[in-house]
Amino acid sequence: MTATVIIEAMNGFAEDKDQAKLIRTSVILPTLSRSEAVVLDFKEIQYATQSFVHALIGEALQRYGERALELVEFKHCSEAVRSAVELVVDYSLGGFVESHGA
Amino acid sequence: MKLFQHLGIDFDPGVTEYEEAGRFLPLTQVKTQADSSAVLANISAMLHLQHDPESLAAVRFCVSELLRNVLEHANSPDGAFVAAHRFTDKEPHRVTIAVADCGQGIAAHLARAHPEVGAADALAIRMAMRPGITGAQSTTYGTPDNAGAGLYITRSIAKGTGGYFFLYSGKAAYRLRRARSQDDMMELFPDPYQDKRGDRWLFPAPWLGTVCSVEIRTETIAHYENLVEWVFKQVPSRKSDARRIKFT
Repeated sequence: MTATVIIEAMNGFAEDKDQAKLIRTSVILPTLSRSEAVVLDFKEIQYATQSFVHALIGEALQRYGERALELVEFKHCSEAVRSAVELVVDYSLGGFVESHGA
Repeated sequence: MKLFQHLGIDFDPGVTEYEEAGRFLPLTQVKTQADSSAVLANISAMLHLQHDPESLAAVRFCVSELLRNVLEHANSPDGAFVAAHRFTDKEPHRVTIAVADCGQGIAAHLARAHPEVGAADALAIRMAMRPGITGAQSTTYGTPDNAGAGLYITRSIAKGTGGYFFLYSGKAAYRLRRARSQDDMMELFPDPYQDKRGDRWLFPAPWLGTVCSVEIRTETIAHYENLVEWVFKQVPSRKSDARRIKFT
């Protein structure tokens, strides 16, 4: 069974991390724990902050690794949302590269 | 800007107050996510950015990240105070944003996960501006709620438009000056202290909390999507072409 979540935000700008956390804990993580698929539909969203996307999917990626990418589908992403998703996937699975000089 | 009103001081500066709509967002207190969302919803009208959606998106991104930082990390009973000003009369056309709090400050926040910070404000603000540093844990993968990349991305958006960035917490302050050239704008540094356009100070009088100010040069933003995509691709994360993200 596939769970579908339509992401909504005022003015098409997704930044409310409390909302992201609620979706993460109430839908994404429970669904993935059953090895079922999740569709995150961004058709109402034009822009999203990296923080919002992180709060939405970061924990799923860290907990389930590449397997999460097999189960989560990102639908109707604008270029800006797509960039944020790609960034969060990269550092959640690979980490940040340490910059030296500190 | 309503500063004295917030301070509870009855003060008449003896000047005519400008109509705020179209020019500036007066000093506004933000204590909850709902307050933050209201500011983000109103900022379009307050700064007359409804006809410049590219700049509006950049401004909203920075305001959102800065306010959320305060709500999550500052431990400030009074929350955050935000103000913004749009300049269109003479070049450079720009929006300046300032967010301040009187919370615990960056050093106290980071020291929980990074004991080496101690009370060293300069080290703390340097670390806070680098990607992947959070006060919740010492790894570089972030927590479920935070990646520790917000200040880095905000600084990068300011720089990518040619604007300035300023951060002050405790006794330490850092300023990234405006870019002088296209080359300046295009060079991002994960470590802010490696940026030649950066200045830093240790002031004798501390700011008990955190102040951050950002300038967005709206005239340079042709496409926000291109700007943010470029900034995101500069974040030093381990990328892999093998990862297949299902975009449909």
